[in-house]
Amino acid sequence: MKRFVFAFIAAYAFIFLWGWLLNGVFLKDVYAQTPNLWRSQSEMMSLFHWIIIGQALIVFSFVMIYATGFAGGGVIAGIRLGVLLEIAAIGMRLGFYAVQPFPGKLVLYGSIGGLVEMIIVGAIVGAIYKPAGPRTP
Amino acid sequence: MNWKKFFIAFVAAFGFIFLFGFLWYGKLMNGAHQEVPILWRTDADFGNHFSALVFGHIVMAFFLTLVCGRFVPAGGAGACATLAILIALIYAGADLITFAVQPLTTKILCGWIAGDLIQFAIAGAIIGALYKSESRMTT
Repeated sequence: MKRFVFAFIAAYAFIFLWGWLLNGVFLKDVYAQTPNLWRSQSEMMSLFHWIIIGQALIVFSFVMIYATGFAGGGVIAGIRLGVLLEIAAIGMRLGFYAVQPFPGKLVLYGSIGGLVEMIIVGAIVGAIYKPAGPRTP
Repeated sequence: MNWKKFFIAFVAAFGFIFLFGFLWYGKLMNGAHQEVPILWRTDADFGNHFSALVFGHIVMAFFLTLVCGRFVPAGGAGACATLAILIALIYAGADLITFAVQPLTTKILCGWIAGDLIQFAIAGAIIGALYKSESRMTT
């Protein structure tokens, strides 16, 4: 339980920082190309707690999947889990691209950023949390 | 990994995810989506990007099947559905973040989260029921 909490806090701290760096700094100009699709800055700030809750839910679910032993143990297992989950998320991102008028490069850069994010989250969780062993039927 | 069973499970998962997505997000939630029309492509533009939707669903179904096949090698509807629900919670987290940055209504947010959970739970159960490793089959 203690390691679960440590893994959660470390991964959450990273995902929060990376989310700000990727979306708030690196991709800022790309987002600015489609202002109609986004809330105003002040509106986003008033809903900022949903970003915190959303990121916490993502990290909690990731650590939970890892901790239940589905993925095995170790840094490599954590990275492998992160890569598989992110590639599935890229599929969902493509679905959003089909229905929302995003620029294609936002999907591309977002997916690359997401892959980097989940690889590092996987490595952090894999390094800190040691599951009992792979789940058996 | 039993690739024949994997392929059957993948095709079934893709068929379900695509059909569910069409019914839930495209039909049932159409009214809610139309409350914020600025967020969506026009019908003609959507038609031009339809291949991205199909490809996205193929990627999602393939990797959900891969995750279930790899991490729950013995299969089983319950175990795979459990794993898929945990994965759906990751998507629910992403939905919450989207709600904070895009002008979605709470109705859309709730519909998306419920859709993710139902879609993944059933898709996981389908994959788990169809995909069983050799060891499980012989015991």
